[in-house]
Amino acid sequence: MNPNSSILSPAQVSEFLRQIVVTRDHEVDCGTCIEHIGEFAEKRLAGADLNTVLASIEHHLSLCPECTEEYEALKKILETESVKQ
Amino acid sequence: MNTTEINWIESLRSPNLEEQATAMKSLRDILLKGLRIALGGRGDVSEAHLEDFAQDGLLRVLDKLDLFQGRSLFTTWAQSVALNTAFAELRRKRWRDVSLDAMMEQGEHLAEPSTLPDDSLGASEDQSRVVIAMRKAIAEELTPKQRAAIHAELDGMPFDQVCSLLGTSRNAGYKLLHDARKALKRCLEEAGISGNDIQLAFTP
Repeated sequence: MNPNSSILSPAQVSEFLRQIVVTRDHEVDCGTCIEHIGEFAEKRLAGADLNTVLASIEHHLSLCPECTEEYEALKKILETESVKQ
Repeated sequence: MNTTEINWIESLRSPNLEEQATAMKSLRDILLKGLRIALGGRGDVSEAHLEDFAQDGLLRVLDKLDLFQGRSLFTTWAQSVALNTAFAELRRKRWRDVSLDAMMEQGEHLAEPSTLPDDSLGASEDQSRVVIAMRKAIAEELTPKQRAAIHAELDGMPFDQVCSLLGTSRNAGYKLLHDARKALKRCLEEAGISGNDIQLAFTP
């Protein structure tokens, strides 16, 4: 662990509170997010509307840094491939 | 699914071993190209790592082939599986020296002023009120595992590593955090602190 992490910074506390504020009773988990992430990325790239399931994926991404990291990487691949075509 | 998509699945499962090997090599090349685009600029990822990630990703794709439902292009789905495999490995390496005891120890201090001072958000009375209510809710409503997981995440530990240390799956770990957030939100609301009050507390 980070030895200097005993006091949370204002940014960390704000992020924590933001997560609490946007929490919903029903959220999709990481497994469901990864299952749909390809479809989500393709729809986002195409500027298409999101259905209910994909909207819940978007909400999950606002709370999960790891899934967001993987989504951003996939988006980068699709955007690069799209430019080449 | 279009014809090209059906061909991927059929070729990867083909009883004709030559056709299967050709499909596997093509897919591995596609995964490697994608991984180079996504991870190539990172200082902690060499070309040898990328080759390993592509190979591991290919094996994972083959293992999960039954789960592909055609909601995206096959190659998009395969890239997402390979990325998930690669990131899990990178996160594991970066945080492998952290122990469960150290994580639990940090979590025990989450509800203390030494970790969450009254002025965490600012010096105003409203901001302090939110922080004090949150500390009380953390102390009274959360389990030691929830406190540890929240503190570790805020400290930057990857969620995969948090779950690994706690001995849970990523889905079970997400539920642990989701339940914690719901409990804290409910407690804050019961203390008369709404989402709007919290948003205002962010404002200097």
